[in-house]
Amino acid sequence: MDFGFTEEQAQLQSQVRRFVDSECPLARVRELMASSVPVDKGLWEKAAGLGWQALTLPEEHGGLGLAWEDLVVIAEEAGRGLLPLPLVADAAAARLLARLGNPQQCARWLPAIATGDSIATIAMLEDADVYEDRGVSLQASASANGSASLKLNGAKRFVPYAQAADLLLVIAREPEGVSVFAVPADSPGVTIIPLVLVDATQREADVVFNEVSVCDDQRLGRAGAAWAEVARVLDAHAVALSAELVGAADAAVMIATEYAKVRKQFGHTIGRFQGVKHRLAELHVGVESARSLVYYAGWAVDHLEDARMHVSMAKSFASMAADEAGEDCIQIHGAIGYTWECDAQLYYKRGRASRNILGSPEWHSERVLSSQGL
Amino acid sequence: MNFTFSPEEERFRSEVRVFLAEKNPNRGEKIGSDIESSLARLPQLLAWNQALYDKHWVGFNWPQRYGGGGGGLIEQMILKEECAKDHAPILGLSYMGLAWVGPGLIKYGTEEQKQRFIPPILKAEEHWCTGYSEPGAGSDLASLQCKAERDGDHYVINGQKIWTSLASWAQWMILLVRTDLSAPKHLGMSCLLVPMDAEGMEVRPIKVMSGETPFAEIFFNDVRVPIENRLGEEGQGWDVTKTALANERSSIAEVTALQHNLEDLKDLARRCRIGGRAAIEDSSVRSRLAKLDCTIEAMRLSGLRFLTKQLRGEPIGAETSVNKLLRAQVEVEMGRLGCDIEGSAGRLLKGPHGMDVGAKWQKHMLGWPTTVIGGGTPNIQKNVIAERILGLPHDV
Ligand SMILES: Cc1cc2nc3c(=O)[nH]c(=O)nc-3n(C[C@H](O)[C@H](O)[C@H](O)COP(=O)(O)OP(=O)(O)OC[C@H]3O[C@@H](n4cnc5c(N)ncnc54)[C@H](O)[C@@H]3O)c2cc1C
Repeated sequence: MDFGFTEEQAQLQSQVRRFVDSECPLARVRELMASSVPVDKGLWEKAAGLGWQALTLPEEHGGLGLAWEDLVVIAEEAGRGLLPLPLVADAAAARLLARLGNPQQCARWLPAIATGDSIATIAMLEDADVYEDRGVSLQASASANGSASLKLNGAKRFVPYAQAADLLLVIAREPEGVSVFAVPADSPGVTIIPLVLVDATQREADVVFNEVSVCDDQRLGRAGAAWAEVARVLDAHAVALSAELVGAADAAVMIATEYAKVRKQFGHTIGRFQGVKHRLAELHVGVESARSLVYYAGWAVDHLEDARMHVSMAKSFASMAADEAGEDCIQIHGAIGYTWECDAQLYYKRGRASRNILGSPEWHSERVLSSQGL
Repeated sequence: MNFTFSPEEERFRSEVRVFLAEKNPNRGEKIGSDIESSLARLPQLLAWNQALYDKHWVGFNWPQRYGGGGGGLIEQMILKEECAKDHAPILGLSYMGLAWVGPGLIKYGTEEQKQRFIPPILKAEEHWCTGYSEPGAGSDLASLQCKAERDGDHYVINGQKIWTSLASWAQWMILLVRTDLSAPKHLGMSCLLVPMDAEGMEVRPIKVMSGETPFAEIFFNDVRVPIENRLGEEGQGWDVTKTALANERSSIAEVTALQHNLEDLKDLARRCRIGGRAAIEDSSVRSRLAKLDCTIEAMRLSGLRFLTKQLRGEPIGAETSVNKLLRAQVEVEMGRLGCDIEGSAGRLLKGPHGMDVGAKWQKHMLGWPTTVIGGGTPNIQKNVIAERILGLPHDV
């Protein structure tokens, strides 16, 4: 048993920290929040230069062949710095491609994803707003004119970083069941509508498909047979997102703690008052517990046949930890925590706005039991 | 115990209802109470204030001599309740003037001050802001440093205030300053009434997380005000402030506003879907709504017990902190629950789909510090309860 970072993982962690500190401190994050460009190209290329986009991709397609638990290391630090890059969404899409795609499809897309030249994202959520098989109703149907191609019709909602993506992995319904299609974002009939989010450090867009032609060789895997793998990849995505939330929660607790050490009222630093001190201790308990669950789930998605329970435990705890830490970071600051200038608000928005992404805490709590047959 | 009202009280209630049917500009509509929507509807709001004023219903229990209503506490409660039920705008637009400047003037003001300042508050001709907090003096207000020194028949003010709500909108400020540096800190303060256009005052708006600028920081650089503008005696500032804050708006109207929000949340839960069925059928949404329901009803009933105490002439004390603490929890939870019920749309700041009108719950989610921090933080309320009601010793 050895439940700690390897030397390489520890190095990766400090590499990401250094990167965040030097290339994208919160002052820069704030500039990018206001920018109309969805992903800062320079930043993305620098990350690619360090091999982050290649991390979990297979070696035969230009990747580094590392494990999902290694991506978790990056995600936690990215979350700590609120790094506005689609590292997690891109890696999840690449994972889906690598698992379902045939060698030609992988060869077509993965090398460009590994170098950062292409950004990929999974287009899953629809109006039904559930991350389940039954939530998929976007249709892939035979064209009326009897040609070999299929037509995609429908709308996807809240697709992470779709406005920056080159490749959309579209989860669609066929008569046989759920399939995945690799659709270039600039295909005719695809309309991308960027959304205005509470958390401006992130990007999401609606994507409308109107008679979008796709050929058989854009389908990843057999027709109607994709759902099980999609669900597993969404779980991996949820774990990496949870890692981002743990990083964000930890940062919020640290910011609040540092403030509590210097702010004085009634002749004492406010950290001396048990109302403040105990609250910070409770938040720390939340972060550490979520961290343990997330690290384990990061390992489990690569090693266990069924990792659902561990994923759900991680996501529900990480969501709660980030949500509470963000709110209390404001509360512990008092009025200054409410201001635009104070970083507390950035973490509050991240925590509260991310708690329902890839499944609400309640949905995951329920799945902790249902995955055990209860 | 008796929860019925006397025939005169019921007659008054009908009178209020008739009035509202005719004059309430919000009839049948739900309108945001944020600064933006209020400014957009200023003419209607001023007409509303005038109609109320003609009835002597602004400053309902203030002396009639200065244009108040001279009314009783029960009628006041009925008035507030009916207005809130009918979604009417607040009972008078000079918000802080009505909430604490007026009560402070009535108790401590000179005859000239009352005649000069009370009528414009009632008519919404003058607005007030509150200069208490400073960068170093928030929860520990009594440690404030902004000072005023006597120079002949003037005070000369130097220092800084912060978090002053509506500073850019107000014509006057009620200011708490240190006038005696050698006195113990609670005894060395005085209260001054300062015109916002006084020379030497600089107002710098502060932006909050929603992007709005509801408050400002204020710099005083040799600002001169005549000594007639002192409210109460020199050194009496702390008492004036305490009475003023004890007059914070009765919780009755607040509770009705919370009930409205809860009804809106229930409506939202009927319209939105979670996991493929109506959110109102979701067990976690149900238990969260029920908890809010119980809490708000408890607040309403505690408010009535509190009002009864006042009617019996018993001293009012720290009990209001109980409802204030609950209010803080309710405000935070409502924003969170509203956005949770909306699901993914809950994290949208603007359209295009799935959100309640005017991004109501997002605004709530980004606005709770006003009530939760603005009137004294939850920890401070807990200290008040623990120390003044339970008699526990001070922290540290
Ligand atoms: C929206 C808004 C509007 C406002 N409007 C006005 C206004 O118009 N005029 C005005 O004068 N002020 C106004 N304020 C200021 C408000 O009164 C103060 O923010 C409040 O009193 C808290 O002070 P602070 O912000 O300095 O926080 P601090 O006092 O520094 O508190 C920081 C943290 O320490 C905790 N803490 C402090 N002391 C203790 C203790 N003894 N035990 C346990 N915990 C403790 C607090 O609970 C808080 O969590 C406004 C504030 C807000 C947010």
